[in-house]
Amino acid sequence: MTNESQQNREVTLNPDGSVIKSEDIRKIYGDVAAVDGISFAVEPGETYGLLGPNGAGKTTTMRMLAGLSPTNSGAITVSGIDVVKDNRAVREIMGVVTQHDGLDGGLTVFQNLFLHGFLAGLSRKDSKNRSHEVLEFFGLRDRSKSNVYELSGGMKRRLAIARSMMTSPSVIVMDEPSTGLDPQSRNRVWEELAVLKDAGVTVLLSTHYMEEATILCDRLSVMDHGKILDEGTPDQMIERHAPKEVAQLRVSPVSIRTVRGYLTEHNITFREVGALISVTGANGDRPDLSGLKNLDGVRTSYRAGNLEDVFLAITGRELRDG
Amino acid sequence: MNLAIPTPDIRRRSVTGLWLRHAVSFVRYWKFVITWVLIEPVIILVAVGFGVGKLIDEVDGAPSYAEFVTPGLIMGNAMFHALFETSWNAYNRIDNDVYETALTTPITITEITMGDILWAVTRSIMTVVGTATVAALFGWLSHWEAIGIIIPAVMVGITFGALGFLFSAVAPHTTFLTLVFTLVASPMFFFSGSFFPISILPDWVEPIAWFMPLTSAVHIARGFALGSLDITHLWAALYMIVLTAIIWPAAIFLLRRRLIK
Repeated sequence: MTNESQQNREVTLNPDGSVIKSEDIRKIYGDVAAVDGISFAVEPGETYGLLGPNGAGKTTTMRMLAGLSPTNSGAITVSGIDVVKDNRAVREIMGVVTQHDGLDGGLTVFQNLFLHGFLAGLSRKDSKNRSHEVLEFFGLRDRSKSNVYELSGGMKRRLAIARSMMTSPSVIVMDEPSTGLDPQSRNRVWEELAVLKDAGVTVLLSTHYMEEATILCDRLSVMDHGKILDEGTPDQMIERHAPKEVAQLRVSPVSIRTVRGYLTEHNITFREVGALISVTGANGDRPDLSGLKNLDGVRTSYRAGNLEDVFLAITGRELRDG
Repeated sequence: MNLAIPTPDIRRRSVTGLWLRHAVSFVRYWKFVITWVLIEPVIILVAVGFGVGKLIDEVDGAPSYAEFVTPGLIMGNAMFHALFETSWNAYNRIDNDVYETALTTPITITEITMGDILWAVTRSIMTVVGTATVAALFGWLSHWEAIGIIIPAVMVGITFGALGFLFSAVAPHTTFLTLVFTLVASPMFFFSGSFFPISILPDWVEPIAWFMPLTSAVHIARGFALGSLDITHLWAALYMIVLTAIIWPAAIFLLRRRLIK
């Protein structure tokens, strides 16, 4: 992995040509269906996202796909393996990045990787060599002997991703790869994931960051309340559900009531998120806000519709509300 | 194979991998752990053997109180080590998602308990061998049969290693684990015939004392230490095995419930 992009991954396909296939899977806790009939397929080399707020059922879905949690019903096939029947076999071939880094504080950075490689089936020699390779690739080589608690949040996350690469898997699931990271660390994680994608690795990730989904995913599903509400490429989803343009108004407190009054009076749809008022025109076109032009303390900017708008349109809720 | 009856499908690599993890972690922190493995038990041994022992002339077939108390103290200490490993340490591994991470590799809950209990046995053996060597130097383990104490040391590691999981697997927080020591370890330490023969306890307490698995372990260890093995030591061993055959599957069940959601 000194040069991850030069490595060609052989991946075993499902009979229908997909790598991960979920058919109507369900998970019920008590009387709550955390996952309520989810079906999708991830194609080889594709990065597929599950986009949704906390509690949408993303983690539970991914845990079932990775063979970490039994299903109540439905079928899962990964690289031709029936995960419901043989969860151990899928854990042999799949790289998994769990939501919490799950690093072992009793071991050094290197030992964390080595142990994982060994448990995953590498010989001691191979696990040692591979540990050095992934440390190099993830820029953690000089941290090899550190205690994991000495690492920054970004480094811990990257170590957790590095760990999932120990067996050079051709299919990886990642639960919220960049949640809780500062923007710089997040960018670094995204860059590294882009290299894996170039190497042909099939990735399933969950996220509640609109930006992460836009940058990384070839296709995605919007999830809420344990169900998939729609699926497509980010562009298709935006085309289908988001307005072309959204006006964003920064309004000073003195003018806020006037602005609200104006928008209501002219039947213009708007929503307030923090200090911002987002305004969408009829038919998704640029809204007519000429009446607000001369008002003091109002700054208007326009942006293109994005996945946040998609989520709002489909669920009626903000993605970030959780 | 997909049979209706689950076959014991144990992957050796999982067990040795976990054991290796514990050994590596132990070596990293050996300066601290060694105080508990060796220094603390020797302090107790010396205090009880030279101190309390001076006040007591003879007890239950042993030539001196020090020789009576030595196997008891050694087993009690081994119990603390095994329990600590799978209650406190295992709880931390649950809480820090160390097992969760391990489970992303082809490991099973049964193998997790096997690896951890194997390490509990290792800790038990380490402390028993260390302390017994010191006791032998003091002349408190004089029979050659005393070498056999390694057998109850292994049994204590297994039984109490499994028992510790019953607590870590259900513990909502670390304070809960206090119960391991207040409800299990301390009563056993004092009422398992380590310090005095349980035959001197009131009649109604004696069966309760025999119910505690440490009593059997101490009985076996003392049989080896004093070279006085008889059939009762076999019954004691059988009791520990039967008890473990109940506790270990229960531990696996509870840990599975905790980790596989």
